[in-house]
Amino acid sequence: MAKRKNTYRVDEELETPFDIKHLKRSFVYMKKYRKQMILAFALSAVAGIMALFDPMIVKEALDGAIPEKQTGKLLLLAAALIGTYAVSVCFALIRSRMMIRVSQNIIYDIRKDLFAHLQELSFQYYDDRPHGKILIRVVNYVNSVSDMLSNGLINLALEIFNLVFIIVFMFLVDVQLSLVILCGVPFLAVFLLWIKNKQRKAWQAVSNKNSNLNAYLQENISGAKVTQIFAREDENSKLFADLSEKCRKTWMTAVRYSSLVWPGIDLIAVLIRAAIFIFGLVIFATADGAAGKSVGVIVSMASYASRFWQPIMNLGNIFNNFINNIAYLERIFETMDEPVTVKDAENAVPIAPVKGEVVFDHVCFSYEPGKEILHDVSFSVRPGESVALVGPTGAGKSTIVNLISRFYNVDSGRVLIDGQDISGVTLHSLRSSMGIMMQDSFIFSGTIADNIRYGKLDATDDEIRSASAVVRADDFISKMQEGYETQVHERGSLLSQGQKQLISFARTLISDPRILVLDEATSSIDVQTEKALQEGLNAMLKGRTSFIIAHRLSTIRNCDKIMYIDNGGITECGTHEQLMQAKGAYYRLYTSQLQDVV
Amino acid sequence: MEKQAKQRPGRLAFLWENMSGRRIMFFVSLFGVLVYNVLQLTVPYFSGQITDLFLSGEEAAENLRLHRDLLYTLIAGMVGMTLFRVIVVYLDCMGFEHVSQYTLFRIRNILFDRIERQDMTFYATYRTGDLMTRLTGDLQAVRHMIAWVLRMILQCASLFLATFIYFFCMDWLLALCVVALAPVIFFIVYRFRLQVKPMHVMLREKFAGMNTDAQENISGNRVVRAFAREEHEKEKFDKINRDYADTARETDFTWLKYFPWVESCANLLPVILLVTGGLFIMSGRITMGEYVSFSGLIWAISNPMRQLGSILNEFQRFTAASDKIMEIWYAEPQIRDPEDAIDHEERFEGKIEFDHVSFQYADATFPVLRDISFTAEPGQTIAIMGETGCGKTSLINLIPRFFDTTEGQIRIDGVDVRKYKLKQLRRNIGLATQDVLLYSDTIEDNIAYGNLHMSEKQVAKYARLSAAERFITHLPEGYSTIIGERGTGLSGGQKQRISLARALAVQPSILILDDTTSAVDMETEKEIQEGLKNLDFPCTKLIIAQRISTTRTADKILIMQDGRITESGTHRELIEKQGYYWELVKLQTGLDREILEMMGKTAGEEV
Repeated sequence: MAKRKNTYRVDEELETPFDIKHLKRSFVYMKKYRKQMILAFALSAVAGIMALFDPMIVKEALDGAIPEKQTGKLLLLAAALIGTYAVSVCFALIRSRMMIRVSQNIIYDIRKDLFAHLQELSFQYYDDRPHGKILIRVVNYVNSVSDMLSNGLINLALEIFNLVFIIVFMFLVDVQLSLVILCGVPFLAVFLLWIKNKQRKAWQAVSNKNSNLNAYLQENISGAKVTQIFAREDENSKLFADLSEKCRKTWMTAVRYSSLVWPGIDLIAVLIRAAIFIFGLVIFATADGAAGKSVGVIVSMASYASRFWQPIMNLGNIFNNFINNIAYLERIFETMDEPVTVKDAENAVPIAPVKGEVVFDHVCFSYEPGKEILHDVSFSVRPGESVALVGPTGAGKSTIVNLISRFYNVDSGRVLIDGQDISGVTLHSLRSSMGIMMQDSFIFSGTIADNIRYGKLDATDDEIRSASAVVRADDFISKMQEGYETQVHERGSLLSQGQKQLISFARTLISDPRILVLDEATSSIDVQTEKALQEGLNAMLKGRTSFIIAHRLSTIRNCDKIMYIDNGGITECGTHEQLMQAKGAYYRLYTSQLQDVV
Repeated sequence: MEKQAKQRPGRLAFLWENMSGRRIMFFVSLFGVLVYNVLQLTVPYFSGQITDLFLSGEEAAENLRLHRDLLYTLIAGMVGMTLFRVIVVYLDCMGFEHVSQYTLFRIRNILFDRIERQDMTFYATYRTGDLMTRLTGDLQAVRHMIAWVLRMILQCASLFLATFIYFFCMDWLLALCVVALAPVIFFIVYRFRLQVKPMHVMLREKFAGMNTDAQENISGNRVVRAFAREEHEKEKFDKINRDYADTARETDFTWLKYFPWVESCANLLPVILLVTGGLFIMSGRITMGEYVSFSGLIWAISNPMRQLGSILNEFQRFTAASDKIMEIWYAEPQIRDPEDAIDHEERFEGKIEFDHVSFQYADATFPVLRDISFTAEPGQTIAIMGETGCGKTSLINLIPRFFDTTEGQIRIDGVDVRKYKLKQLRRNIGLATQDVLLYSDTIEDNIAYGNLHMSEKQVAKYARLSAAERFITHLPEGYSTIIGERGTGLSGGQKQRISLARALAVQPSILILDDTTSAVDMETEKEIQEGLKNLDFPCTKLIIAQRISTTRTADKILIMQDGRITESGTHRELIEKQGYYWELVKLQTGLDREILEMMGKTAGEEV
C-alpha cells in the first residue's frame, strides 16, 4: 500500500508524461500494416496529384475554350475531368477498404495486447484501483485511438504530401501570389501552438473524469443490493450526478479549445483570399494601373489557395484528434507498462509432476517494505498431509498459502515443492498442479456446468457431475429446472452464497490438484452439508497435500497437522491431540468454543 | 404491476423530452447553422463581384483605376463577413456541445437513478457490463446525434437548398442541370440505410458483449490466477475481440458498397457545371462572373450529397443505441412504492410477522419458501438455521422487499410491508448480506455508507461494536485505508465485520445478519455477540448463522428445511426436542467426551 490506492473520487496521476516515445511506440502497431499503409498512401497520393490537374483543366476551359467558343474543346476538357474523377473514386474505394481493415486490425491488436498484459498482472494491481477504471481502457479507450493510428497517420502524411504538391503547382502558376498564400502559415503556427497546451490538459481531464464515472458506475451496478438496503438511491444519484457534471464540465472546457481550430484556420484562409485579390489587382498592378494578373491566374490561384488551405484545415482536424486521443493512448500504454511483479524466471522450467511435499525455508515476506508479515517461517509438509492454519485474523494465514501458489514473491528464503524452488518453475505449471479455493467464490456468467468446467476445460459432463456429487453440489443442481445448464452470473443469480461455494468447490476439485488450498472456502456452507462434503472429500484428498484455513473447529480437528499462526510466524504446530495437551493458544481457542456451546 | 409499460415515445421524441430546458438554445443553435451557411455564400458573392467588376468585366481596367475604394470595400466586406461567420460558427458549435452535453448529462443521471431503483429480478436479467455499455457507449451515440448528426442534417439540407435557390435565382436552367443527379443519390443512400441498420444493432451487441467479458475477467481476476487460466481467458477474449473487429469492419464496408456511386454522382456535378456553364457563357446567357459564383459554390451542392452516407450511418448507430437506452429507461420495476403508500416517517417499533408466507422465484418450478409463519417481537433476537439452499436468505430478502411474497403477508408493526414507502421501510432495516460487498473507498466511508453525516467517533463506535476496531487501528492508515473493489485485500472475517459495522451504523430498528460472522474466529465472534447485546438503540435482530455459538442465546431459533420451518424454540427447548438442532449441536461440538473431560466438565448432565 505504499502507493496510495485509487478510488472513483481520485483522478489517476499519470506517472510518465507523454512524450514522443509514446508516439514512436504506437508505430509498433502500425508497422505490421506497413505495406497496406504505404499502398493506401500511394493511392491517395496519386489521386491527389491527379486532382491537382482539375483546376488546370478548368483554367484551360475558362481561359481558352469558353472565350474562344470552342464547344468541342470544352467537351474534351469535361471528359478529361470525368476521367480524373473516376480514377480518384476507384482509388478512394480501394484505400477505404484497406484502411478499414487496417484500423480494425489495429484496434484488435492493441486490445489483445492490453488484455494479455492484464492477465499477467498480480492481484495487487486489481486491488489498488476500481475495476471500472481498468475496464474503460480495454473497452472504450482502445476504440478511440484506432482511427488516429490508422487513418490519422496516413492522412497526416497525405495532407503534408498534398500541401507540398499544391505549393509546387502554385509556384508554377504564379510565384508572387504563391508567396502571398504562404504568408498565412506563420500565423497558423502561432495559433496552433497557443492552443495545443490548453487542449492537451483539457483532454487529459476528460479522460480522468470519464474513468472516475466508469468506476463509480461499475461498483454501483455490482452493489445495487447494498444501495437499496441502505436506501442510498438519492445520495448515490447525487454523487453520480456530480461525477457526471465533472465529465460535462471538462468536456466543455476541452471543446472550447478544440472548436477554435477550425474557425481559426478558416478565417486565416479567407484573409489570404482577400490578399490574393489585393496583391493580384493592386500591388502587382502594371504601371498603367491595370490588373497585375490575368483573370485565369487570379481565379486559379484563388482555387489553389482554397486547395492549399483545405489540407491545412484537415491537418487542423488531425491535430485536434491527436491531442484528444493521446489522452487515451497514454493511459493504454501506462497499463501496458505496469510492471509484472510475479513472472516466470528467465530459465523457468515446468514443474515436475508434483507429489506434494511443501517446504518453507526461512521465508520472510512483507507487502510493503519495513512491515514484515511473515518472519523467518520454516515448516515442511509431507506429501498427502492435510494442514490446518489457525490463528487470529491478519496474522498471515492467507499470506502463507498465497506464497505457496506464488501469488507474491518471497522477500527472502525459499518455498519448495518436492524440493524444487517454486521461483524457478513456470507459474502456469505451478498453479495448474494446485487447487486454490478462495473465500470469494466468483461465478462467471454462463451455465453451472461452464463454471465447474473452468477447472478442467475438457471435462466431460460425467466428470462434472461426479465432482459435484463429491462436494454435495449435485443435489441442489439437479433439482434446478435446467440442472447443470442453468444460467448463472456474477451478481444477480439466485444462488445462495453456500451454493456458490459448493460450485466453486467442484470447480477446484475437477482440476485434480496435487496440492489443495482452501482459504475460508467453506465458511458459508452449513455444518451438515460440510460434514457430508467432508466424507466425500476425505476419499478425494487421499494422497493430496492440503492446506485449510478455517474457523470451524470441526473442520480443523481432522487435519493431520495444525499450525497456529501469530505474530508473523508459527507459534504452535502439531496434531489436534498434541496441541490440546500443550494447552497453548490452540487449546484456548478450542475450549472457548466448547464452553460457549455447552 | 397493474400499470402496463407506458407507451414509449419515438426516439426523437425521447431526445426532445430530455432536451427540456435547453430547447431554446437548441433552436438558436439550429438557427445559427442557417446563419453561417448563408454567410458562407458571402465569400463567393464578394469574389464574384470583384471578379466581375475588376477582373473580367468590360470596364475592369477602368474600374480598377477609378473605383479602388469600391474594391477595398468589397474585400473588407468579404473579410468582415467571414470574421462574423467564424464567430457564429464557433458560438454555434459551443451551443450544440452545450445542448448535447446537457442532454447526455440529464439522460445519464436519470438513467442511473432508474437503474438503481430496479428490483433484483432486473439485476438478474442484465449483466453489469451490458448496463455499463448503456450508460457509456450508447449514450455517446445519443450525444453524437445532437452534437453532430442533427446539425449536419440541417446544415446539409440548408446549404443545399440555399445554394440551389441562389443558383436558381441566378439562372434557373443551369441550377436545374446541376441538381439533376440529386434524386439518384437520395435513392442510393436510402438503400444504404436499410442495409446498414441491422449491422449497427449487431455491432452494438458485440460491443456490449466485449464489455461484459472484460468486466468479468477483471472482477474475477483472482479465480483466473488461481486456476492459471490466463491462456484460456486470452483465447476467449480473443474470439470476442476478433468478432467485434470483424463486425465493425463489415459495418464500415457496407458504406463502401454505395460509396462509389454516390461519390461519382457528386463528382459529376462540377463537370455538368463546366459543360453547361461553358455553353451558356458561349451563348451569352451568363457572365463569367456568374460562372465563377456558380463554380465557387458547387461544393455546397455536392458536399451535402457526399455527407449523406455518414449522416445516415451515424443515425443508425443512434437508433441502435437509443433503443437500448430506452429499454432500460422505460423498464418499470415490479417492486416499487404503492400508490396509496403509508407515510411512516417515524422509527419502526420492530415487530415482524410472517403470516403464511410462500415464495417462488419467477423462473423457478417450485417455491423456495412454503407457508412460513413466525413473529418477532420488538427487541427479540431470532436465529435462523438450516442447510445450504434451504431458503434462509430468500426469507430475509422478503423483509426489505427485495422480492415480494407469492402468497401470504409480511407485516412490520402490524402493517403489510408492501404498504410502506420503500425508502422508509429500508431505512429501518440494517442488513449485512452474505455476499459482502464493500466499495473501493476508505474504511470510514464504507462504515458510514448508510449515514453520511457520521462523526469519526461514531464510526469508531460501530467498528468497536463489530469487533473491527482493533484490526482497523492496526492498519497503517487506520480508518482512512482504502480497500479494493468488493473489499479485496481484506480477509473474509474483516470484510464481514466492516459490513456489520455498516449495518449497525444506520441504527436500524430491524437488524438482519445473513451469516455475517461465518468467517470470523471464535474469540472475535464472542466480542461481536457482546457488542450486539450492548447496542445503544432498540432493535429486533434476525440472525442467520451456522454456528451454535452464535444462535444459542437467541429468543427463538427457527430451523429451516426445504423452505419450511421445521423446528422452532429456544436453545434449551430445541435440545430437549432432540431433533435436527440437537444433531447440529452434537456435530458441531463434536461432543467429544475425552476433550470435555480434559476440560474437567461433564457434558452429559449439562445438556
